Parts: sequence; C-alpha cells; structure tokens
Amino acid sequence: MLPADCSRRLVAELRDALDACAERQRQLERSLRVSRRLLRTWEPAETPAPQPTPAPETSGEAPSPESTPSSQDLKELELLTQALEKAVRVRKGISKTGERHKALSLKSGSAATSATTASAPSRPSGQASCRVSETKPPRGIQQTVVPARGLPECRLLSVGDRTRMGRGSRATKPGPGPRDQQIPPSAARQAPEAFTLKEKGILLRLPMAYRKAASRNSRLWAQLSSPQTSDSMDAAATAKTQFLQKMQMTSGGPGSGLSAAAVEAEVGLLRTACLLLRRRMEEVLSADPADCMQEYRCLLTLEGLQAITEQCLHRLQELRAAVVGQQLGPWPVGRRPGASLPCGGGTDPLWSPQLLLYSSTQELQTLEALRLRLAMLDQQIHLEKVLMAELLPLVGTQGPHWLALCRAVHSLLCEGGERFLTVLRDEPAD
Amino acid sequence: MPAHWTEETALKGRGHRSLGRRWRRVSTRWVIGRGPSRDGTGAVIGRWDPAAAARNPRKVSASCMGRRRRRVDRGAAVGALPEAIAALSRTLPAGPSPEIFRRAKFDRPEAAPALWQLLFRVLSPLSANGASASPAQEAQVRVVKSELHSQGYPRRALAQLPEDGSQGSRELLLALAWLLARGPLLERLLAQTRVRLGDEIPLCECEALARPGPPVPRVEADGPVDIRHLQWLMGKLRFRWRKLITSQQEQCALLGKIHSYTRGCHSDRSLGHLSVAETELLRDAEGGQQLLRRLESENVRLEAALRWRRQELVFWRWMDTVLGTCPPEASQPTFVPWIPERGAGEWELVARELQALREELRGAAEPRRAAWEARVGGWGPEWSAVQRASREAVGLELAALQRAWEQGGAAAQPHGPCRLVKSDAGASEGPGLRAAQVIEVLRSREACLEAVLCQLQRQCRQELARLAGALPGLIWILPPGR
Repeated sequence: MLPADCSRRLVAELRDALDACAERQRQLERSLRVSRRLLRTWEPAETPAPQPTPAPETSGEAPSPESTPSSQDLKELELLTQALEKAVRVRKGISKTGERHKALSLKSGSAATSATTASAPSRPSGQASCRVSETKPPRGIQQTVVPARGLPECRLLSVGDRTRMGRGSRATKPGPGPRDQQIPPSAARQAPEAFTLKEKGILLRLPMAYRKAASRNSRLWAQLSSPQTSDSMDAAATAKTQFLQKMQMTSGGPGSGLSAAAVEAEVGLLRTACLLLRRRMEEVLSADPADCMQEYRCLLTLEGLQAITEQCLHRLQELRAAVVGQQLGPWPVGRRPGASLPCGGGTDPLWSPQLLLYSSTQELQTLEALRLRLAMLDQQIHLEKVLMAELLPLVGTQGPHWLALCRAVHSLLCEGGERFLTVLRDEPAD
Repeated sequence: MPAHWTEETALKGRGHRSLGRRWRRVSTRWVIGRGPSRDGTGAVIGRWDPAAAARNPRKVSASCMGRRRRRVDRGAAVGALPEAIAALSRTLPAGPSPEIFRRAKFDRPEAAPALWQLLFRVLSPLSANGASASPAQEAQVRVVKSELHSQGYPRRALAQLPEDGSQGSRELLLALAWLLARGPLLERLLAQTRVRLGDEIPLCECEALARPGPPVPRVEADGPVDIRHLQWLMGKLRFRWRKLITSQQEQCALLGKIHSYTRGCHSDRSLGHLSVAETELLRDAEGGQQLLRRLESENVRLEAALRWRRQELVFWRWMDTVLGTCPPEASQPTFVPWIPERGAGEWELVARELQALREELRGAAEPRRAAWEARVGGWGPEWSAVQRASREAVGLELAALQRAWEQGGAAAQPHGPCRLVKSDAGASEGPGLRAAQVIEVLRSREACLEAVLCQLQRQCRQELARLAGALPGLIWILPPGR
C-alpha cells in the first residue's frame, strides 16, 4: 500500500486525466450524433410544413420570379397536381408499372448520367415502358432541377414543381419515367419523399437571411482583426497605458509586480527552455566531431548550455521567492487551477478561424489521429513526471512487499503500464 | 430671447434641458468638454455644475456665445461618453446600462450587483455558459476576487469589499477598466463565444487546456491505495484514448461524406461545400432559426465593438477622473505568505528537470574541457583568433536558442482553430493552410514528444536498475522489447 498523501495526489492526477479524456469523448459523441443524423434519411416531420420563413434564393435561370409562392400559386399547384394525378391513374391503367413511392432521384446536371444508371436498377418496375423516354426526361430534369433551390422537402419540391409545370405537363403525357409522375402527387398530397444527403445534397441552398448574416459576420470579424493604425487608436493606446500606470501608483502596489498568472507563464517558458536545451545537448553529444575545431565548438556549446541552465535555475528561484514573499493581505488563498498555455498565445492572435484544406478523408483522419496522439503524449509525459516524482522515492526506501512494488513501479514508469518484468530469485544450487 | 437660449436648445437634442432656473434639474447630467469657467479656456472634465452656471448665467452665455462654432463639438462631446459606454456594454456579456457606470463613479451601492455580475461573466466565461443557473452572489464575488488577484490587480481595496456584493461599485469600475486596458479583452470574449459556422479543428491545445470543462463531482480517495489501483487507472486511461481515437476516425469519415455530398452548395466559392452546422440548419429549420438569431446578435456585438474602438478615448479620459475621485490607498498591508497548491507541483517538476540537466551538462563538459586543455596547452597564438571566432559563432547560436523560448516560439507553428474545407488536391494557391503541411509539422512535434517520453523512461529504468542492483540474489528479466 502506498502512503496516504502520495495515493491521494496520484489518484487525483490520474482522475484528472481520465476526466479530460471523458470530456473529449462527450463532445465527440455529440458531433457524431449530429453527423449520423444528417447522413440518414431526413424526417419530413422535422421540417415545418409549408412556409419556412427564410426565403430561398432564386437563380437567374429559374422561371419563377418570386421567391415565395403566393396562395394563388399554391392553388394552381393544387390543380396541376390533380391533373397530373389523373394522368398517373390513366397511365397506370396502360402500363404495368407498380406504383411504388420511391425516393426522389432528381439529378443535378453534372451527375445526370451516373444517376440515371444508378436509378435504373433501383426501379425494376416501369423500365419496359419508359426506356424510350428515358433519354428525354433527364435532360428535362437537368434544366428544371438546377433552378430548384431552397430547403428540401416541400420547399424543394414546390419550387421544383412550379418550374417543371411548363415542361412536366407536356412530358407526363407522352410518358416519362414513372418517377416524374410520382413527384407531383407525393409532393402535394402527403408527406414529401424522403430526403437523403447522399442523393440530393447537391441541391441544397442556404437561405438568404443566413447568407447575409454570415457574410456580414465574416466582414465584421475581418475588420475587428485588422491592425489598427489610426491616430485615435494611438491616442487610446497611450491613454490606456497612462491609466494603468496611474492605477499602479495610486495603489500600495505589490513590490515585485508579479501576478500569479505571470509566474505560471514564466514557469511554463522555463519548462520549454529545459526541453530545448536538452534537445540541443543531445544533438551535440551524438554528433561526432570530425576535427579539432568542431570539438572545440562542441565543448563551447556544452559550456554555454550549462551557463544558460544556471540562469534558468536562478530565475526559477527568483520566481519562487517572489511568489512566497508577495504581500497579499486579505486576498483569498484558493485559486482556480489554470493551465499554462504552451503556445504562448501568439503575438497576433487570429480571432476568426483560418481555412484548412484537405483533399481526402484519409488525410483528414491522419490529421486528427496525429492531433489526438499529440494530446495523449502530452498527458503521458506529464503523468510520467508526476509518477516519477512520487514513486521513485518509495522504491528507494525498502519496505514490506518491496519486490512487488518495484515490479509494479517499473511497469508503470518504464513500460507505460503495458508490460511487466519478471523477477527470479537466484537460488544457490544446493 | 437671450442669445444663449439658442445654444441651450441646440443642446436640447442631447437631452440637456437647461434654461435659466431649470438648470438646477440638470444636476444629474454629466459632461465632458468645455464647462463654465472664468476665462473660458479651461477644459473641465466633470460634472456640469448648474449651481455655478446659474450663478453667472451671463458669463456662461458669453462663453457659450463665443463658442458658437464649438456648439457642434460640445454637443458631440456631451453625447460621446454615453455612446461609448453604450457600445462597450453592448459588446460585453451582461453589460449594464451607461447609467450604472455613471453611478459607479460616485460609488453608489445600487450599481454594485450589476458590476459584480459583469465582472464574473467576464472573468469566468465558461462557468457562465455551462452552468444552468449562475452561482450565488458570494460565490461570484469570491471568484471575481481570486481571478483578479491571480492576474495581478494592484489595488487592494477590492479584496476588502464585502462578499454580499452590496458595495464597491467604483472599485469594480476601476477593475473593469484595468482589465480593458491590459489586453484585447473584448476581442477575446467575442472569440470565446463565437458562433461556429464551420467544422473546426483546433491545431494547438491552448483552448482545450484553457477550458477544462465542468468540474465533475468526485469521491476523493481518502485512504491509502494499492499500487494495483493505479495500474488499473492507467489501463482505463489507455482504453479511453483508444476509444476516443476510433470515434474520431468515424467522425472524420462522416465529415468527409457530408462535405462531398454538399459540394457546390455554398454561396462562398472559397468554401465550396456546406459544413455540418449549415447542413443542420437546412435540416432543422427551428434550430436554423436559433443559429440565425445567435449569428445576428453576434453581429450586433461586433458592430458595437467596432464603434467602441472608435470612441474609446473619451472613456479613458473619464476613467482618469474616476481614479481621481478615489481616496489614496493605505500603504501598509498585512503580510500573508501564499503557497499555491497546484503551482508548487509544477515548479517542483521544472526545478528538478533543470537540476538534472545541469548535472548532465556538467558531466559532459568538464572531462572535455580537461581533455582539451591538455591537448591545446602548448599551441601557439595563431589559435587564439580561431578560438575567438568559434566562441562568437557559438554565442550567436545559443542566443538564438534562448530567443526561441523567450519569445514564445509560437510564430512558426500553426495556432488556433481552423475551419475544415474539403477541396480537390492541387489547389496550391489561395488562402488557408494545407493539410499535408500541417501533418508534417504535427509529425515532427510527435517525434519530439516521443523522444522526450523515451528519455524519461530511460531515466526511470536506470534509476530502478540502480536501486534493484542493491539487492543481490535476484535476476531481473526485462519484458521483450518493442
């Protein structure tokens, strides 16, 4: 058993690490839920029925000039759909097609051919009768579908229907594919056909209100992030520094002027310093000096590194003294444990995100995997240091079950807890 | 009608109703600009003193008349401060009205609660977002005090304010101004609560560290634990990471699909496809409305922030006067040493590392120096020039090394969140980072960290071998190497 205070600290550290991991997992689960839902069939019930308020944009080529169908248009649509339904019934009697409600397979212009071949096997019925007319509807659909903008479900279908009105009525008579005929009745009558992102994602368009707000948003962020160089800004900057100085003067003022956050930041910098110094030392030690001059330089570098390390240690002692000796008065003692930022914040923080272009899913997966691995390594290094600090002294003092402790500590510290060594007692042969 | 009455009516638009004896009612107005003074050249920052104005209306009117040209200036100056403060409070979360600010200058108690809440929201934004109900007044006060202290707030009067949050509005106003003056507070706050329209990936762990998430209530292990408990926790941690990585891979695959299915749908050509948030907006109209509302309110705040930037000079001049109205602080505080609990651990670790490094360097450098001296002892003066050149070169290298950490060294590394955009390979120009480059950088960082971890493990192995070697009669069989 480990001593109580040591146990408490170590368990607290490990639990912190577990909590951090759990938090990431929670956020990831949230995103996964949203993404999975988007890739499934979209429930029509989730979209409010006729008129979502953001008006869909209309392209130049759309025959319908207004963006929202008026009540008269809806009436016309209703009449048209009734007429088309009648045509469907008539056609049903003629052809042997089994009317099945299928998922809409509207195709965009670019994907027309591939989609036709894809939809053809998916509709076993009706192929015999409409193979002849197969070539015509795709073209017609090409031209009519592209202007079909706006939200899917009713929005998409109603606008699409209206644009297709002129052609659809003509096209239905001679007998296009049954899918055309299925569209109007299903659109007007019952819940619209299911919408999947895979098949119809290309048709989506963002509402105008959102686009305006988003472009304004990015414009404002760009303005906010741009460096300010006008006179009033300089005057404001000087006024600010003067104000800060006055504040410092009028108060009693802590002598060293160091705040806890500044101390923490400096300690973080010194940690980075240690890392860089050690890396340079290893480079020097592993290099093979070819001639005298290089040997001399190696020697000088090592001595220089030693001097810098002394400086860093000295600075660390100063920080410690400043923290301990700081006059605090009635300040509350407990502090929120903040983490020191390894990046240092950057000199010029970008307030809005920049773009990161990736070309394939594999690339994205590699990127994310690397990122997580870095976070995991960071955590592992931190835990390693903490465990070293706590457990090695325990191994140094021999107590009961020392062997078992030694073995466990070895596995934790040297193998990351994954492998164990074996200890054999070297018994004399007699 | 006396000439000066036209002046006053001009100022009427600013709400300055002042005609003759009605000036007394204007005692609540505050003005920055030229006030009534004898020679009319002094710039008075402070309250418009109606009593004095009432006493010498002729003098004032003379100065007013003489400054008919400045009517616009003074009118502008009168309104500039409330406007600036209105812009400021609109940018801030839970920003109080300009009236609260004005009352805070005179340390009125009714202004205190609003300012406590404002400072709490500013200093701990994550708890304000995460918690369903904001914590009690005392808790807010304590958090504000400790956070200000840790950032180095110089005035001690803040710590002495009562915890029920009923007093100290002037001190709080000074604290807010101090925070504003020190850094880009508004921009940082706006960035923290930014509406995320794209699929973002943070390239460095700054934000993840700065936002530790809601504290999980946990049962503290009071008693001593067996080391097997630690092994179990480590195993649990390993398993969680593995699960995390798998989930992340799935999310990437889904993202890739969504991005390619919505190709060409975005109005912004540089983006090209919709993000998850935008697709969700189209699927769920109600959620989309909420997003739109949040976006619009953020736009309002951004515009207010830009307005504030243009007008903030007036505010700083006013804050000087607020500072002036404070009594000077006592200069003999009581002395209480403060040992930070968590901070000490960090300090200890760094100290230990630096000491270990120093020992290693000494062990490496001293024998070499001795060997060198022995070899070079008899060499001639032509060496000294070469030696000096070497010394200078090494000095420069080491100085560059020192700069690398002193200046943060973050310039070279990609920093901050990035919006993911799927584009076909071959787009070599245009703004934005390329995933391939970022992957390279991350790989080099990974190699670095792995080297550090290996080195630590090697150190442990050596130390344990040394300790175990003290006990004879045992054979230690190491596990098969990787």
